[in-house]
Amino acid sequence: MSLADVIASLLLLSGCLFYVAGTVGLLRFPDVFARLHALTKADNLGLFLICTGLAVHSGSLRIAGLLLIVWLLGLLAATVSCYLIARRAVRSGQMEPPAMEPRS
Amino acid sequence: MIGLAIDSVLALGIVWLALQTVRSVSMLQAVLMFIVFGLLMSLAWARLHAPDLALAEAAIGAGITGALLLVTWRRLQADGHDPVDSELPAQSKWLTIPTACAAALLIVIVGWIALQLPAVPGTAGDLAWQRLGEIGVSNPVTGVLLGFRAYDTLMEMAVLLAAWLGARAVATTYRPGALPGPVHVEVPLVGALLSLVVPISILVAVYLLQAGGSAPGGAFQGGAVLAAGGVLLFLTGRLEAAPRTSGLERVGLILGIAVFSLMGLMVMATGGHMLALPGAWAIYLVETALLLSIALSLVLLFAAAPGLRRMS
Repeated sequence: MSLADVIASLLLLSGCLFYVAGTVGLLRFPDVFARLHALTKADNLGLFLICTGLAVHSGSLRIAGLLLIVWLLGLLAATVSCYLIARRAVRSGQMEPPAMEPRS
Repeated sequence: MIGLAIDSVLALGIVWLALQTVRSVSMLQAVLMFIVFGLLMSLAWARLHAPDLALAEAAIGAGITGALLLVTWRRLQADGHDPVDSELPAQSKWLTIPTACAAALLIVIVGWIALQLPAVPGTAGDLAWQRLGEIGVSNPVTGVLLGFRAYDTLMEMAVLLAAWLGARAVATTYRPGALPGPVHVEVPLVGALLSLVVPISILVAVYLLQAGGSAPGGAFQGGAVLAAGGVLLFLTGRLEAAPRTSGLERVGLILGIAVFSLMGLMVMATGGHMLALPGAWAIYLVETALLLSIALSLVLLFAAAPGLRRMS
């Protein structure tokens, strides 16, 4: 097992840990905002770690570049869907919005 | 060992999700279970070294079908037709459990017999594999779809057109504004998302089409990805339902069948067999037409509208 393999395994395992943490948050947290917070933040980092781990494992710049695009697209989709879900939750009035900065 | 563990989790997960899909009390839950079921099926195809099927299952089975089911659920709700458990037929334990066991037993017996069969030399698959070079593409899946079983692919396009016509016939009442869904107010972030994701969906669709000749990909996968971009434009109110199917849309809907049939007939006129496409250029031409027709049919099915137009 080479050094690259060890690094890749560590990155993949820590990425999985973040996914587990995010999923536990999704299942256990009380309201929409806390759940979104847990899910998007932890999963984005988890995806980053898994992509980095796979890039190290592949040892190819081309694949690393493709994985970077995968991560960026994942970030984009997660950000916008998180925003839309939170917006919907605030608008529908079922949920008190979290303490927000007053608009200047 | 790890491979076996992953396969076992996948197999058990697929059966469990299938059970959940048919047993869910709420329709929304069943739809969500079905989407996850499609994703796991896609992983299973990938594990079976069938990346073409994995792509198709993820794009069409989980993606577009899931979106169609979700929008149907949404419309049923908006029509005051809240589909909850009360409308599902009551399940009888004494009937379902023995039926399920008998079906499982049947599958096990058929699978076991299939595994016992001796390998027959010279099957259609072997012949196709040997003569793949004559088709002009190196991806065997594309070769089979457009070369050796072109009739099937042509008929699939006819089925897709028939499905759209059927949906069109059922959804005869056009009610502008009655349909929920499109976000008419301008939401920040959505415009930025669209300006990135829609061009990417076009790029990926063209890439899948081009890659289909030598690697996993093809018209169906590319069409589904392109359709996803169209669905996004419809959901965010960039496209809206039009009361009529425009001439361009009519051309687009039949483009795949028309180009495929014309190519097939032209080959026959020059002395070849019907639908025996002469080389890679013909395959790419037909696939491009198929891709456009598939994408347009799927978007129109999703919109449940006769046509689409830019939001005024």
